Amino acid sequence: MVLELQKPRPVWQIMFSTHHTDVGLLYLISSIAFLFMGGALALLIRAELFLPEAQLIADAMTFNRIFTVHGTTLIFLFLLPSASAVGNYFVPIMVRYKDMAYPKLNAIAFWMIPPGAALIWLGFADFTWYATPPYSIISAPGPAADMWIFGLKILGISSVLGAINFVVTILKCKHPDMSIGQVPLLAWAFLSSSLIVLVAIPTFAAALLMLLTDRLGVTGFFNPAMGGDPIAYAHLFWFTFHPEVYVLVIPAIGMMYEIIPRFSRKPIFSKSSGIFAFVLLSIVSFSSWAHHMYATGMSFTEKTVFMLGTLAAVPASGMHVFNFVATMWNGRIKFLTPMMWAIGGIALFFSAGAGGVANAAMPLDFTTHDTYWVVGHFHLFVMGTIAFGTIGFIYYMFPYVTGRMYNETMGKVHFILSFVGTVLVFFTQHVLGLYGMPRRIFDYPAIPEWIAMNQIATVGAMIIGVSMVIFLINLIHSSAKGKPADIHDPFGLGGKYYYPFESKNPHH
Amino acid sequence: MKNLLGLFLVLAILVIIPTVDHVFAAPDEPGEYIDRRVLIWNLFFRMMVAAFTVGAVVSGTMIWICWRFRESHPNATPTEYEKSGAEVGPA
Repeated sequence: MVLELQKPRPVWQIMFSTHHTDVGLLYLISSIAFLFMGGALALLIRAELFLPEAQLIADAMTFNRIFTVHGTTLIFLFLLPSASAVGNYFVPIMVRYKDMAYPKLNAIAFWMIPPGAALIWLGFADFTWYATPPYSIISAPGPAADMWIFGLKILGISSVLGAINFVVTILKCKHPDMSIGQVPLLAWAFLSSSLIVLVAIPTFAAALLMLLTDRLGVTGFFNPAMGGDPIAYAHLFWFTFHPEVYVLVIPAIGMMYEIIPRFSRKPIFSKSSGIFAFVLLSIVSFSSWAHHMYATGMSFTEKTVFMLGTLAAVPASGMHVFNFVATMWNGRIKFLTPMMWAIGGIALFFSAGAGGVANAAMPLDFTTHDTYWVVGHFHLFVMGTIAFGTIGFIYYMFPYVTGRMYNETMGKVHFILSFVGTVLVFFTQHVLGLYGMPRRIFDYPAIPEWIAMNQIATVGAMIIGVSMVIFLINLIHSSAKGKPADIHDPFGLGGKYYYPFESKNPHH
Repeated sequence: MKNLLGLFLVLAILVIIPTVDHVFAAPDEPGEYIDRRVLIWNLFFRMMVAAFTVGAVVSGTMIWICWRFRESHPNATPTEYEKSGAEVGPA
């Protein structure tokens, strides 16, 4: 049984523990903290864009710094660590092993996050989370830019260490009686995403080194003045970060695979198709990176190849959605908070995917390139799908982590406000992009449609902000004073259901 | 089911492959670029029609499932796994 907060222990004992649930708890707490820090910056950005001209933020560079740190924080310090939190808790239990394969390495991977985060937040770089060259080489002020590069370097190493641990734990440490096909889908999700990390991250690690040496003036890989090519950086960056989208989304789908059968009171419709779709997504994640770069003068053939490569993700994503729908069919669905987040996540995943199909098609891509359409699209993925799946799962694991139940009403209010806010912000941003508003701008002309849609988006963001405050209050209050959970059936689903928490996994 | 799959395969061959062939067959001379754009838009338009149709069907199905198979629906009955008391294995 995994109960963290019911057995009070000195904080240092958790902090310096190498046990997978302790490390998972550390990942969980830090990722929630960074969710609020990155989210606060998002609200600041939206408040600034409520009206044209400077409102709250002094100048364009400060605005750039804020959205750089916002993006970096929420991707590298919230989404990735929150997935690691779930993986740390569940993967060893699901494969029936006492811990992660390398417990000390696991703790080291977590403890690389605080210094990485400190470098990013103390530097507050201004060149976007993409570190746009040649600006990042020639003009971006140091030491902020260098601190960002070192911070990302550290976080990249942390991700690779974590990925090695997941792969070895699942493939080499699973119980001898358990075939790879019997490994639960959530663990399969971590296996797939970890393999992507191992292939993708080293490319960006190389790009960061090249960027750093370019900044130092030693080399000119991406500096046109020294014969370099910024487009080469774009290839290296997107070769890592398009697959990275799948690194984030695959664990979120894995979490939905845990929640939906439980609350539908049925087993998953087709486990093998889920595994197949994870593997397929992992492979095709590497066939689509250059669709971010259609506007850079690629040949027609290259563009066609990457268009088809991107569309190859559609069947795999469709298999997941079909699996969820077929699982719910003929079930007896209990709409508690985790299930609501999971279903909301599926609905938004589908919408985000439809936008992705449009992005992948060259003609529309040229129309929407670098507009707010793109902002709306990827936020619908990261917030609407990945964060929804993750937050739903935080509610799901809450009774097992704390031994107490969260407040159900507050959880549902949190979901409804977040869903409404997400639709208001990100659907509106799609339309705003079609109206031609460019992304990454501090000020915009007073076009009535632009103002109206920015205001709708800002109101939506504030609604999400309010919902997140409710979430925080719920987490803090319920973990201290919530009703004690019936650990054998905290959600009152009845019947005999498999819970990974029932596996014995004693601390060591 | 096999017949249905066969039908989809035939339709795919009849509709999609000739369209893609046209796109690839277009020469690379600058004057031909407009033609290719038209062909791609055409392909894109068909894809989006298909995507929105599928989207409407899937979204509608999800909403209906949530309404029909909710625990509080008057016709809700225990699932066969609840009736049998069998343990549901890991997802």
